[in-house]
Amino acid sequence: MARSRDRKTVPPGDAPRVIDQGSVWILVAAPSIWAAHFLLSYWVAAIWCAKLGRGTSLAEPRWIIAGLGGLCIAAIIGLAVLAIRRYGGVFVIFEEITESSERARDRFVGHLALLLCVLSAVAILFTVIPGMVLGEC
Amino acid sequence: MKSLASLALVLFLAGCEGRHNWLAAAGEEARSVETLFWVLLAGAAVIWSLVIGAATYAHRAEAKPEREQEARRFILWGGVALPVLVVGGLLVWGLLILRDITADDGALTVRVDGERWWWRVIYDTPEGLVTTANEIRLPLGERALFRLTADDVIHSFWVPALGGKMDMIPGRETTLALTPKRLGNWGGLCAEFCGGAHALMRFDAIVMEPEDFEAWLAHEAQPAQVDEGDPGFAVFDEEGCGACHTIRGTNAQGPVGPDLTHLAARDKLGAGIYEMTPETMARWITETHEMKPDIDMPAYPDLQGARLDALVTFLMSLE
Repeated sequence: MARSRDRKTVPPGDAPRVIDQGSVWILVAAPSIWAAHFLLSYWVAAIWCAKLGRGTSLAEPRWIIAGLGGLCIAAIIGLAVLAIRRYGGVFVIFEEITESSERARDRFVGHLALLLCVLSAVAILFTVIPGMVLGEC
Repeated sequence: MKSLASLALVLFLAGCEGRHNWLAAAGEEARSVETLFWVLLAGAAVIWSLVIGAATYAHRAEAKPEREQEARRFILWGGVALPVLVVGGLLVWGLLILRDITADDGALTVRVDGERWWWRVIYDTPEGLVTTANEIRLPLGERALFRLTADDVIHSFWVPALGGKMDMIPGRETTLALTPKRLGNWGGLCAEFCGGAHALMRFDAIVMEPEDFEAWLAHEAQPAQVDEGDPGFAVFDEEGCGACHTIRGTNAQGPVGPDLTHLAARDKLGAGIYEMTPETMARWITETHEMKPDIDMPAYPDLQGARLDALVTFLMSLE
């Protein structure tokens, strides 16, 4: 509450850049989790198949990739909760955010973060699917 | 304008016929890809019609601010949820097809090695390996597993009417299954640009009745019947052809070029590009690089007259 009292509406030209306030991390967090999951999945499958050869069952790697996927999606759900609670983000915006204020900026960042969370979760799901379907190197 | 449109239609429809037609449904694997294609096409047509219909409606209809929320929900479900489900479903379907056509089993195993610019074909039989080139014969209705690799650069193995395609990568082995469902002589080609004569790197994929195939394979496994003192073989030997080519049953054991043991039994010459006749054979030997640019085989323009005739006669006797 004390924080929000300190915030003032500033004219657009003098508005501090949001990135300077260190509050946009939530935007990069979800896509970064997806990128990390993609890289780890790629490493696990590539090393597994390079060591054991073509036609080897992907039994263990597929569960590692799926397990990692589950953890990553859980982390993304956590981020989505933060985006809703701390930023006041909503998934669907019914009115345009045109106001130049901290609150409006937060709502915009929260909305964007929620959309990115959904996109990243779907991307992780699509990374897990090939391993589950193909089943071997 | 009308004649241009009809010309375009003729050119478009010309792709629907012929031995390279991937909609010919001549193989089980081609059929599975074809089914996916038609579903995609029909789905795309439906989605396109709905989107254009919605856009037209939105353009003509009066704005109803009270239905704003409903409209946004429609966009959310139709624009986010539905595409994710559709693309996810298609991903799974495509992966299942990939899993089937690369699964490591088949009644017959054929190794194909992509070379610049021809195909080394090796049948894996219980009696041993049978090597041939530039022509692949397959028994009707039996799943043949192809083990593919390449010798020099990346090629891609494709028999559009039967199924595929699959990359051939030096130092690696990829697999692809083909299960022919229709008799015929289907065209095969390299589908990955691999250098100068890429467009001339072709082969025939001939689907036969299983018993005919067995007889053909048994014959192909036999060494060549070369008479001792054959004047054509003498020319072949003197010119050093055996340094690159193998004729089983003789001292010609070169591993570089195509195996010639049953050369004249093949339908085509030069990796699927010329009819196998004495005339094309003579030109192939003397004007090699006019017949197929950039290939490694040297031309023998000085080989003329009786010596050339003897060599051609000998090669055409390798059935």
